[in-house]
Amino acid sequence: MSEFKSGFFVGGENCNGRVLIVDDEPDIRKVVRMTLQKAGYEVLEAENGEKAIETINSGENRLLLDIIICDIRMPKVNGIEAIAYFRQNYPRVPLIVLTGFPDTDMATSLLRQGVVDYLVKPVEGEKLRAAVGRAMEQRELAPL
Amino acid sequence: MIKVSETEPENDRAGRSVSCPSPPATGTPMTDRKGVMLIESTAPTKVAILGAGRGGTALLDLLHQIRTIEVVGIADRDPRAPGLQRARELHIPVLPHTADVIAHQGVQLIMDVTGDPGMEQILRDRVNPNVEVLSGPASRILWELVQHEARLQAELLHAEKLAGIGSFAAGIAHDINNPLQLILGLAENLTDERNLDTVHEQAREIVEAVKRTTTICRDLTSYSRRAAPYHDSPVDVNAKLDDALKIARYAVAFHDVTVKKVYAPGVHVTGNPDELLHVFVNLITNAVQAMERGGTLTVSSAMTPDGAQIRVSDTGSGIPPELLEQIFEPFFTTKPPGKGTGLGLYNIKHVVHQMHGAIGVQSQPGTGSTFTLTFPPVLPD
Repeated sequence: MSEFKSGFFVGGENCNGRVLIVDDEPDIRKVVRMTLQKAGYEVLEAENGEKAIETINSGENRLLLDIIICDIRMPKVNGIEAIAYFRQNYPRVPLIVLTGFPDTDMATSLLRQGVVDYLVKPVEGEKLRAAVGRAMEQRELAPL
Repeated sequence: MIKVSETEPENDRAGRSVSCPSPPATGTPMTDRKGVMLIESTAPTKVAILGAGRGGTALLDLLHQIRTIEVVGIADRDPRAPGLQRARELHIPVLPHTADVIAHQGVQLIMDVTGDPGMEQILRDRVNPNVEVLSGPASRILWELVQHEARLQAELLHAEKLAGIGSFAAGIAHDINNPLQLILGLAENLTDERNLDTVHEQAREIVEAVKRTTTICRDLTSYSRRAAPYHDSPVDVNAKLDDALKIARYAVAFHDVTVKKVYAPGVHVTGNPDELLHVFVNLITNAVQAMERGGTLTVSSAMTPDGAQIRVSDTGSGIPPELLEQIFEPFFTTKPPGKGTGLGLYNIKHVVHQMHGAIGVQSQPGTGSTFTLTFPPVLPD
């Protein structure tokens, strides 16, 4: 399980924010990490909804996580279920969906649930960073 | 095993018209709306076929599937006629001579598809007047109808297959867009990557990702092509099952499904390879769909004294006993509107019968279902 070790939970020195990427494809996690690290974000990875829930609930992550980027089609706990959990338990953390299969009905329903962005793969690095930047502005700090 | 209930006739229908052999025949009740299978009160019509060439073979295949018809025998002058071989596979008596057909006790209708212009007169002169004869122009029309029916069945199969491909969209999008995301991300990185080793490594990754996406098109083209008619050949069952497992992943996500393959080596059947692939993809897709919360899919092949046996088992929701009898009927579906054509298992049954095989199902609600296909042994040429 990955967990940030930081003594200062508003952000490290060169850290613009902390992002959890949830996707069953290691390739996707890798490029998202690459793309966001270049923009100064720290990136955590989870391979499905179940792992993502474990990750956010562990140690300092519950306080330090700024944004979650989540796939939909995944084993164990899928994206829809994971997003419902995050909205319920971590409403302060903005959620971005990154999916391989554009589905208008699903996008509408997810945006209604409070998902801040719905991106369809393949998404350019520029757009991903812009979406994360917007989401950062919408986040609320964890209550102390 | 599924058994569609058919009771033995209690009344004899001497003199009944046999011009309409397909159900519902005279006095045949329908299935009631609750799905309780009602019983056909009439006995099957006993039919003999003269001529076992292409026409006789096709007619035999067709009549064999109709429950209100019993084929009591088939004859041909040529002992190597293909229809005679087919009859043996179907356990239908092969009669050595035309005279045996004419003298057959109990036959009600003789269908002459010999194409012999003199045969009609011979039959009219010698057949018992209680026995009806279909010959000459009437049997030519029948042959044309049989061919027409075969074309319609092929069209139906193809249409159902194409309808099914619509449900592949999510799977295809997943398998194309994920590698594309990798390719895009790496290519963007390469525009300002300074470390030459990293450049080389990421370029190689891009090549591999492109290769992965090309297999998708290859799999789907082979699946969606129209099955060539009269294209029976020996089919390697295990290889086809492997292909089907690949293609079924587009139709349904195998999340949390463990796939167990239990293959006996060298299992072959005779049939149309494209149609058989379609059958396997359908059975595997159904099995995985029955396991919404995961489970085990077991795909097995075996050689038994009766021929090849193929099983597709799931540990899913199972089929309620009251629905078991209907699952092979056309347009029967438990899926919500727009999600299933209701033609999947109906077409599977048709293809399996065309290959002279049989299909059965065992199911227990809450435990899972097993579909078993059996095909006659491949005969040496």
